[in-house]
Amino acid sequence: MDIRKVKKLIELLEESGIAEIEIKEGEESVRITRNSSVAAAPAMMQMTAPAPAATPTPAAAAPVAEASSDADALPSGHIVKSPMVGTFYRSPAPGSPEFVQVGQSVSKGETICIIEAMKILNQIEADKSGVIKAILANNGEPVEYDEPLFVIE
Amino acid sequence: MSLQHALIDILADGQFHSGNELGERLNVSRSAVWKALQHLRDFDVDIHAVHGRGYRLAEPLELLDSERIHSALNQQTQAQLQSLDILFDVDSTNAWLLKAPQRHAVVCLAERQHAGRGRRGRDWLAPFATNLTLSLGWRFELDITALSSFSLICGVAVVRALEGFGVSGLGLKWPNDIMCQNKKLGGILIEMRGESGGPCELVIGVGLNMRVSADQAATITQPWIDLQHCDSISRNRLAAALIDELVQACMACSEGKLDAYLTQWRQLNIHQQLPVTLHLMDGREVSGHFADIDESGALLLSENGQQQRFTCGEVSLRSG
Repeated sequence: MDIRKVKKLIELLEESGIAEIEIKEGEESVRITRNSSVAAAPAMMQMTAPAPAATPTPAAAAPVAEASSDADALPSGHIVKSPMVGTFYRSPAPGSPEFVQVGQSVSKGETICIIEAMKILNQIEADKSGVIKAILANNGEPVEYDEPLFVIE
Repeated sequence: MSLQHALIDILADGQFHSGNELGERLNVSRSAVWKALQHLRDFDVDIHAVHGRGYRLAEPLELLDSERIHSALNQQTQAQLQSLDILFDVDSTNAWLLKAPQRHAVVCLAERQHAGRGRRGRDWLAPFATNLTLSLGWRFELDITALSSFSLICGVAVVRALEGFGVSGLGLKWPNDIMCQNKKLGGILIEMRGESGGPCELVIGVGLNMRVSADQAATITQPWIDLQHCDSISRNRLAAALIDELVQACMACSEGKLDAYLTQWRQLNIHQQLPVTLHLMDGREVSGHFADIDESGALLLSENGQQQRFTCGEVSLRSG
């Protein structure tokens, strides 16, 4: 593929708000991705934000400012991490209510999720009292050791 | 002991007992006896009432007896065990131990569980005094990551206990369903509350079908089997053997002596080298051959010369 065409694509991507673009031409294909934390972070925050009520106006500028440091993908607060590799569950049983929701207050010692590996079910407790600011894993999906699961503030 | 418990204790012999006799022995009125009988019927206990003769159970029951269980334990277990509680009716023996103040080397059995739990909240059938539901709490001075194969080890321990009673055709379905003649005989659910990087307290719950009635059978949705095809096995003696084997397994785990267990697990694996489908919790399905387990107990599935490792999911034999 012509390098000028690739350059043009990169410029196009930068001007748009698109995170990723893939172009196929016969046998050849090229995929261009922007620094993923830029696009991913705002999307995740929208999903998990408790209510749109008090969003400060400079929000539009925020993602650009945060783009440089990727750790800023998480809202600030205390992070509960997974103590083991396993499957993440938000409710005690399929179909039953979830342990916690974003925006909910939890007290220390309260069960907030279950991690299962090989039929060992580990009830994960909040190790700090506060409000659930974000839930970072999806129900039924695998999580890694030390993976952030919740942000409590 | 509650009135219902005392009442069933008398009726367990399967003989007729009149309302008067029961009232006198329990030192309560006949109407109190009648109420307690109704309560037992709510537990699906089949009680016959015959005019002029009194009450008797459709079939005699062997109730759990802590002294009988304790005296049947081996010396090592007797030395380790801190407590052995027999409950009449409980939500789940696992939940009870998870809330108990002392959680090391403690055993809890129940005649009935009204909220018995299988994996992921599936109901575990535990009708009154016919099956066996038992939990053992154990504290390990190990990180949870060192205990990843523990669930398989417990499966082997339960099989060893059953083998001691001459039960044949036993097998294990990954990670630890207890199978007999390729049908489910029992299950194990291990629960813990834990943080990383420290000692962890596990509660191992075992449920075994000993005698499933026709009514209960109608509610089970998978191929099952109970122990009625074996010569009558004492619930108390089987409970003691299970406790012995589970304590042994916990100690072996603490000492890191797991090779013999994992070798036996492979021999008992009902799917070893067979084509299987693994149903993952997020709804995906993966097919392949059940190649082996690794030392952490994870399932190794091979397909087209590629091997994948899994720690979660439900295995079933692939048809066709």
